[in-house]
Amino acid sequence: MASALQGETRTDEAEILEALLPEVTRFLSACVDGYAIDRDGRIPETVRAGLGRLGLFGMTIPEAYGGAGLSLGSACRIVAELARVDRSVAIMVGLHAGLGTRGLVELGSPALRARWLPRLASGDCIASFAATEAGAGSALTAIGTTGRVAGGTLHLDGEKSYVTNGGFAGLFTALVRTPGLGGERAHSLVCVPAGARGLTIGPEEKKLGIRGSSTVTVSFDDVEVPLDHVLGTPGDGMRQASALLAWGRTLMSAGCVGAARGALDATLGYVRERRQFGGLIGDFAATRAHVAWMAARLVAMDSLVRSVGDAEHAGESIEVESAVAKVFCSEGAFEVCDRAVQLHGALGFLEETGVPRILRDTRITRIFEGANDVLLLRIGAAALGESPAILTGATTGHGGPWVRGAERLEAFACSLRHEVDAVRQSFGVRAVRHQLTLQRVARAVICARAASACLLRSPGDPDADLAAHAAQLLVGEGNAWLSGLSRADDDEAAARVVTDRLYAR
Amino acid sequence: MRAHEDIRTVTMGLVAEIAETDIVSIHDGQRLREDLGLDSLQSLELLSSISEALSIDLDVEMAMGIRTVEDACSFVAAQYEEQRINGQRAAR
Repeated sequence: MASALQGETRTDEAEILEALLPEVTRFLSACVDGYAIDRDGRIPETVRAGLGRLGLFGMTIPEAYGGAGLSLGSACRIVAELARVDRSVAIMVGLHAGLGTRGLVELGSPALRARWLPRLASGDCIASFAATEAGAGSALTAIGTTGRVAGGTLHLDGEKSYVTNGGFAGLFTALVRTPGLGGERAHSLVCVPAGARGLTIGPEEKKLGIRGSSTVTVSFDDVEVPLDHVLGTPGDGMRQASALLAWGRTLMSAGCVGAARGALDATLGYVRERRQFGGLIGDFAATRAHVAWMAARLVAMDSLVRSVGDAEHAGESIEVESAVAKVFCSEGAFEVCDRAVQLHGALGFLEETGVPRILRDTRITRIFEGANDVLLLRIGAAALGESPAILTGATTGHGGPWVRGAERLEAFACSLRHEVDAVRQSFGVRAVRHQLTLQRVARAVICARAASACLLRSPGDPDADLAAHAAQLLVGEGNAWLSGLSRADDDEAAARVVTDRLYAR
Repeated sequence: MRAHEDIRTVTMGLVAEIAETDIVSIHDGQRLREDLGLDSLQSLELLSSISEALSIDLDVEMAMGIRTVEDACSFVAAQYEEQRINGQRAAR
C-alpha cells in the first residue's frame, strides 16, 4: 500500500496529514474489526503489518532512520483516528511512537539509534516502555529494579508490571535505579533488547478493556546490557522519564479524543433512527441536551490536545499541560462514552453494538500513565508554585458567543488567581497536606486551560461556535470548583470521620 | 531561637527521611530530583515537614525553585531568620 509517509516530496506536516488520514481511515474501515480484536484478545498480525505499511510505526521517528519525523501534534491526530475505531490498536501505535521510541530518538547514542530506529520505524520491531512495578505505581521514585555496573556492563535485576506492548516488543526502554551511575538513589533510562539473556516475559494479563493490547510482566534476572544502552546522561532517568511521560500522556489524551468521537458518532447514528413515543428520540430535549454536552466536551478535549501539541512544537515544557490534558480527556471520554451507552438504551449494554467496548476500553485511561487522583495533586501544586497564565484568545472576527465566552473566561481566570493566592497565604508549603484543596485548585485550572484552548480556535474553524459554547460550560464548571474550595478542609475532615470508623471494623 | 547548624541538621534529617536514605549519605550538592529521586510533590512534602518541624511558614512560590540540598538548607535558614526578625519587630 502506498503511503503518504513514504512519498519522496515533503511539504509541510499539514499536507502530509491531509493525505495520510484518509488512508488511515480507509485501512481501519477495511481491515480493523474492533469487536474481533476485543473478543480474541489480540491484534491480528495482518493489522500490525498494515499499520507498518502505512508508515505509522515510524511517524515520529526522524526521516534519517526511515520515519516521517512528524511532530507530537500530528501524531496525536493519527492516534485519535486509530482510537475512533479501536483503542487497542491506538494504544499499541501510540505507546510505540511515544514512550517506546521517544527516549531512543532524543537521547540514544548515534550507534544505538542507527541499530534500532530503522527497524522500529518500519514496524519490524515494536517498542515498549517499562517503568511501573508492583510497589511503584504513580510513585515512580519507589522503583526497585536496579542496574549495577560490573565488568564494564550494566546488570539488571527486578520486575516491571503492566508493560504495554510487552508481549511482542523487540525493544524495551526501562526506568531503573542505577546507584553506580549518578547518586545512590539515581535512576537511568536503559534500552533492553527483548532477546537479552535473563529477560522473561510473563503471560498476558486479563483486562477489563483494551483487551487486544498486550499487557505483561517483564522480569530481569541479571540481564546484561552494554553501558551505551543507557539513554542520555546516566543518572538523569527520573527527569528524562517525566519528559517521555509528557509525550505519552498527550498521545493517550489524543486516543481519548478518538474514542469519544467514536462514541458520539455511534450515538448520532442511533438517536436519529430510534423512534419512541411517536418520535425520534434524537428530537427529545433531554436527548439533545446529552448530545450537545457530548459534542461540546469532545471539541474541548480536541482543542486542549491541539494546544499541548502546539506548545510542544514551540519548545515549551508540556509536563504540566500534558497532565492537564490527560485528566481532562480521560474523564471527558469516559463521560461521553457513558452517555453513549445511556442513549443507546438496553442496546448500549450489548457487546455487538460496540458501545460497551468503547466504555470498557476508556476506563483504564483514568488510571495509567499517572492516576488522575495523583496528577490532580501535581497540577494543583504546580499552580501554587506559579500562577497559571490563562489566555483568552483574540475576539476579532468572532461572533457573540465567542466574545461572551472570552469575557467569562477572563473573569474566571481573575477569580482563579485570587483563590490560588488565598490558598498560598493560608497554607504556604503545607498546602501539600490539604489534598482536596489541591485537587479542587487543579480542577479549576483544568477547566480554565480547556476553555482557553477552545477560545484559541480561529474564526474560520467550523467548530468555532461549538468551542465557544464548550468554553462557557467549562467556565461554569470551573467556578463551581472554586466555590468548593472553602469547603475542602471540612470535606476532608468528614471523610476522615467516616473512614476511621470503617477501617476500625 | 535555633542555631544555623541546628536548622541545617533538621533539614538534612528530613531530606534523608523523605528520600528514604541514611543521613550520612546526604550532602549539599545533591539534586533533589535527579540524585535523590524526589518528585515535585515529594519536594513540597519535604518543605512542609520542615515548616512544621521549625514552626515557620515557607513561601510556596520560592520553594518550587529549590533544586539541591544546599538550596533547601539556605532557603530554610533565610526564611527562619527573616521570620525571627519580623517576630522581634512585631513584639516591640
